[in-house]
Amino acid sequence: MAISRDDFSISFRSALLQRGGSQKFSILSLIVLAIFIFFLDVYGFAVVKTARSIINDVIFRTSYIISSPWRIMPNANKTIISHFNLKEENDNLKIVIENYKSLELNLEYLTNENKNLRKVLDAENITNDKKHIVLAKVLVDRNSPFLKSIIINKGTQSGVKKGMPVTQNNYLVGRVVDTNFLSSRILLLTDLNSRIPVSLGADSVQAILTGSGTKNPKLEYLPEEYKLKNNVTIFASGKDSIFTPGTPIGTTILDTGKYSNEVKLFVDPNQLSFVTVQLSRQNKEKN
Amino acid sequence: MAKSNLLNKIFNTGPLILLYYLSISEVDTNLEKIFEIFTFNLPIIIIYFWILKKPSIMGTGHIFVAGLINDVVMGFPLGISSLSYLVVCFFSNYVRNKSINTTIASDWFTFFIALMFANLLFFSLLNNFSDIIISYSKIGYNTFFTLFLFPVLWLLFSIYQLNFVGGRNA
Repeated sequence: MAISRDDFSISFRSALLQRGGSQKFSILSLIVLAIFIFFLDVYGFAVVKTARSIINDVIFRTSYIISSPWRIMPNANKTIISHFNLKEENDNLKIVIENYKSLELNLEYLTNENKNLRKVLDAENITNDKKHIVLAKVLVDRNSPFLKSIIINKGTQSGVKKGMPVTQNNYLVGRVVDTNFLSSRILLLTDLNSRIPVSLGADSVQAILTGSGTKNPKLEYLPEEYKLKNNVTIFASGKDSIFTPGTPIGTTILDTGKYSNEVKLFVDPNQLSFVTVQLSRQNKEKN
Repeated sequence: MAKSNLLNKIFNTGPLILLYYLSISEVDTNLEKIFEIFTFNLPIIIIYFWILKKPSIMGTGHIFVAGLINDVVMGFPLGISSLSYLVVCFFSNYVRNKSINTTIASDWFTFFIALMFANLLFFSLLNNFSDIIISYSKIGYNTFFTLFLFPVLWLLFSIYQLNFVGGRNA
């Protein structure tokens, strides 16, 4: 029995302290170092924050370069396929043009409706103001099972600050949660940590859009006994003073969604290449 | 002779390069597009297997750095992945010290314990010291598929070892 215990302790110690060959550091020393770095980072010491910001910028750019073959390959494949499908594409485009022609008839009506909605929502018409937006390229789009976020190539150097809303084609995509000098991390609407005040329907019902970690976020904190309808457009309410009121987000999907309160986003978070950071809002969160 | 040595060196660094590549690139093992709940942790399998079978090609310093890079790319607090990787590394070292010949079944069982400890540490630290919210079901799926795919990857890595790397050097 004593021999067995000795054997255990020798193996245990050896596993923790063993060095030699390519093992230049013992596991114990590295574990202590990792714990030290973890707590330095968690408690946000200024030196660590700056160091992390520099490391982030370097690694994000390296990651972008290293991942480029994976980005090029599907595009090359798409180009070849599209070349062979030109006729079919032409027919489809003709149908699309016909659809647009019919949509044009409703344009005036929609323009007026849009104006009225903007009045109702007291929206600030800033989306076309180039001074207040920054166009950014998505550097890293690592589809983690736990965190739904992307890295863009604009940081504090371009005026990007924590909390700023991020859009694509004027549709809300997420918000800035971490900034470096040359890059920033965007928390997508689908992330479990995302909470956004929204309004929906003709009577501007207030709710919170909560990320669920899946493709479709959910609507929570709806008024009691409120019956959700299908295909209702969801807008950012701007109650948090972060998001521009009236920014479209998605539509409710009662038929196809797994849950009754799911929202289909206008922008597919897995297909982001370029996004726009809205610089003009007053933000509660400080960088 | 020199060419053969160079080739050997390249093959020997293969698993390490794969580990770094998985940490830094967008390529990951989240296959949600194929199957909604399908995610697994390939770096942990790589570390466990190669520390167990051929520790000379997988330095602990490299594992530590790969963990730090993974944290930066994924947006986790720095050092948390390194800790989790090092726990797996410790278990693998311990099993190697205690055993002479291992089978796929024994490796699978010890990997299960290592994975449980590593994930427990990872998610309890994240839960207690960070604001990041993580879905427990996703953790469960990730752990399950990592465990489930271990034998498959064990076989693949064994074939690689047999053909390109050579025997065990405990």
